[in-house]
Amino acid sequence: MNYQEFKNAVVKYATANEIKDYELYYTKSDETSVEIFQTEVKGFNSSNNLGICFRCILNGQTGYASTENMTEEEAESIVLRAIENAKSLESETPSFIHKQGDTYLSYEKEEIVTPSASTLVDFALDLQKEIYAQDERVIDGTQAVAGFGSFEKAIFNSNGLDLADSGKFDYTYAMAIVTDGKEMYNGMEVKSGKMADFDKTEVAKEAVKDALSTIGYTSVDSGAYTVVFSNKVMASLLSVYSSVFSAEAAQKGLSLLKDKEGEIIASDIITLTDDPLYKDALSKATFDDEGAATYTKNIIENGKFTTFLHNLATAAKAGVKTTGNGYKGSYSSPVGINHYSFYINPVKGSLEDLFAEAGNGIYITEVEGMHAGADPISGDFSLSSGGFRIEDGKKTTPVKGITISGNFLQLMKDISSVGEDLKFNPFALSAHRCGSPSVLVKNINIAGK
Amino acid sequence: MLLPQNLVKEALWKASSTGADYAEVFAEYTNQKNISMVASKVDKIADGIISGVGIRIFKGTRCVHGSTSSFSPEAILACAQKVADALSGAREMETITLRERRFGDIHPIRIVPASVENATKIDLLREASETAKNYHSDISQVTASFLDVDHNIMIATTEGLLAEDRQIRTRMMVNAVASKNGENQTGYHAPGARMGMEFYETFDPKSVGEEAARQAMVMINAGYIPAGKMPVAIGNGFGGVIFHEACGHGLEASSVALGQSVFAGKLGEQIANPKVTAIDDGTIPNGWGSINIDDEGTPSQKNVLIENGILKSYMIDKLNGRRMGMASTGNCRRQSYIYEPTSRMTNTFIAEGSDKNDDIIASIEYGLYAKSMGGGSVNPVTGDFNFAVNEGYIVRNGKICEAVRGATLIGKGAEILKDIDMVGQNLERAQGMCGSSSGSIPTDVGQPMIRVSSITVGGR
Repeated sequence: MNYQEFKNAVVKYATANEIKDYELYYTKSDETSVEIFQTEVKGFNSSNNLGICFRCILNGQTGYASTENMTEEEAESIVLRAIENAKSLESETPSFIHKQGDTYLSYEKEEIVTPSASTLVDFALDLQKEIYAQDERVIDGTQAVAGFGSFEKAIFNSNGLDLADSGKFDYTYAMAIVTDGKEMYNGMEVKSGKMADFDKTEVAKEAVKDALSTIGYTSVDSGAYTVVFSNKVMASLLSVYSSVFSAEAAQKGLSLLKDKEGEIIASDIITLTDDPLYKDALSKATFDDEGAATYTKNIIENGKFTTFLHNLATAAKAGVKTTGNGYKGSYSSPVGINHYSFYINPVKGSLEDLFAEAGNGIYITEVEGMHAGADPISGDFSLSSGGFRIEDGKKTTPVKGITISGNFLQLMKDISSVGEDLKFNPFALSAHRCGSPSVLVKNINIAGK
Repeated sequence: MLLPQNLVKEALWKASSTGADYAEVFAEYTNQKNISMVASKVDKIADGIISGVGIRIFKGTRCVHGSTSSFSPEAILACAQKVADALSGAREMETITLRERRFGDIHPIRIVPASVENATKIDLLREASETAKNYHSDISQVTASFLDVDHNIMIATTEGLLAEDRQIRTRMMVNAVASKNGENQTGYHAPGARMGMEFYETFDPKSVGEEAARQAMVMINAGYIPAGKMPVAIGNGFGGVIFHEACGHGLEASSVALGQSVFAGKLGEQIANPKVTAIDDGTIPNGWGSINIDDEGTPSQKNVLIENGILKSYMIDKLNGRRMGMASTGNCRRQSYIYEPTSRMTNTFIAEGSDKNDDIIASIEYGLYAKSMGGGSVNPVTGDFNFAVNEGYIVRNGKICEAVRGATLIGKGAEILKDIDMVGQNLERAQGMCGSSSGSIPTDVGQPMIRVSSITVGGR
């Protein structure tokens, strides 16, 4: 059966079971990618996937059930399973199915024409050639990948809300492996957006440059250093710690920012914005995963913490309005909270200006093991890192085999300069991504030799 | 059978129409339930069916993969056609004959979790959660979850294989937060097994909450570790994540076949200290990472990866095996039908050695005892790995002293293997989820206590 027929069947079973408040959440995604090894196509992957989640309110609790299989039996099963699950819940957070009446933002959608499979293959083969052409130290194992995808999302509920959204994107990345005859080094460059805008030579050049840049690295003595975090690294840190800004985490006692609204939590040069329609985002959101309208807001304004991110339930508990940040991690997940384009606002000054200001220190361009070495509940981080020395105000030799340690909230207070080079994490193809300019922080603990 | 045999045959026939020398249909129907609790109250229940079909074809070392969420014959055949369209040769295979094989199930399940009502699972979880909460007045929050998965797979290939497996797993997880003077620290414990509800008869659920809370309390009262290079004793169980990250990923054929691993081309060479013997064994009865057959239908086996420091075997899937000229070792795995499968670990551990645990601690003049490890990651190309210490102690003059927080261990896989210079005798395995290109899959890590003679410890 198709989605419309499945939807009708679900409504029939919900009504038959006297369920008055319910929602059906639907996602569909198509993705195609091609991977090159040596000079040939190694892999070609194409997937068409869909998922449907039913949730309903029973005795003030929200029960969920989901499926990927649109049949009459599954339509009945997800209704019965959701009812059964609702009966087991003991949550003290109120439950909502969103009402009609929000005013939704709008934006002009850019038309992305999906490339043909052969265009994709040609692009990736050419990119692979470009990578090898960059430097004679490039070796086999180097890989070029190109792909495109599209998604559809729809929310339909018992209050008559009926919303739909869709989007498309292309992406490419190059993973270059180089050798100095002794060891191997790899480097990466990622682009997302429209394939027509991707410059193969530039992607290849950046990946190889990244790989070559670490040749001859050394460690540094353990101690406290002045550090410049690259825009990419700062965006990654922000991403790991973004859950501290979630009202759900705060209400459950899992956020260090609990009860801190209105307080100074960062350096006065920090303004943190959440923008569902940020101009260059590949996908934008005018409604959240509960169907509530989204809008742009500052979360930190000149160092002051202004608001948590809310969904309907956390907002009701806190006695405020939702900020339109209701979010499902996947179609089957219960509603939680997430940001959109979430970024530290650029101030002024180039990267070189930050190096000059640092004088002597370390420029961190890489951090690894975020899911293990950075704890959002304590705020502590201790991360394997790499980058370059800063000597007499200039970037010099490569550094690796070190860790950086600290606490995220302390770091936000210790930022003494913010650059102008705002960059978003290029891996995030969805509407939910983090961005930052490069920042200067004094007194970061580094473990090395 | 998840799909009718004639439909599977038709899909294989279509998929192999453009010159493929191998075609494979993988069908899946998975029921997954996750009950989560906050402050001992049931907060959310996710209850989902994951179902669909993944189709793969090979021509030499070239691979095409496609997937669809639908079980309808039209969608499956359309997927097969789409996969075939990526090649442009003439048919090579003349006929396809499927022979059903029953590999058997060495993982008995006494009580299938899906047949048990929520209330029973909630009672077990609440016991664990409340024990954590009541452990100490500084425990400010406890979150807990109860997971059960019923993963049904069917694999058919043009080699003639037709096989099925049903993989049932359950896991209980408790996270405790201790708060003091505006600081938070967490503790975590999450045992799991390829078992049914009888798993919870093998231990007291209270012990899960107690362990999580104990760890959070130790860490909230700990200071930060001073950074530097030092000898480290790594505790048993989840400590085995060091081998998983530092070496395991580098022994997966997906890295080795492409020359992307520092261990490529080193079979028969001494790559580790002679004290190190490491094994990947998917045949451990009811083990969390165990499988009867892998996701290509190859029966799982016990693979000795490193014996007395000498590299003996990689973990190999069919596709990368072609590139390497080696047979599959039964290690091909995927999170679901959506992911293209590749070589992955199952239950991977360092075998018991000859050193006494007390001697390991006594041998350290100044260093770290990493009693409990968190997760980590690795770059297989360079071998650079990192992982977090969840519970650590300073060792001074051969004695375990004060607890320290914030430690991360970093190094290079090839070097660390040589620096494992003592291996103890209390092998234990622990459960984890391993994320890589073919998705997130259950794997066990494990080891007895070991000593690494020198490693960089991140701290402040």
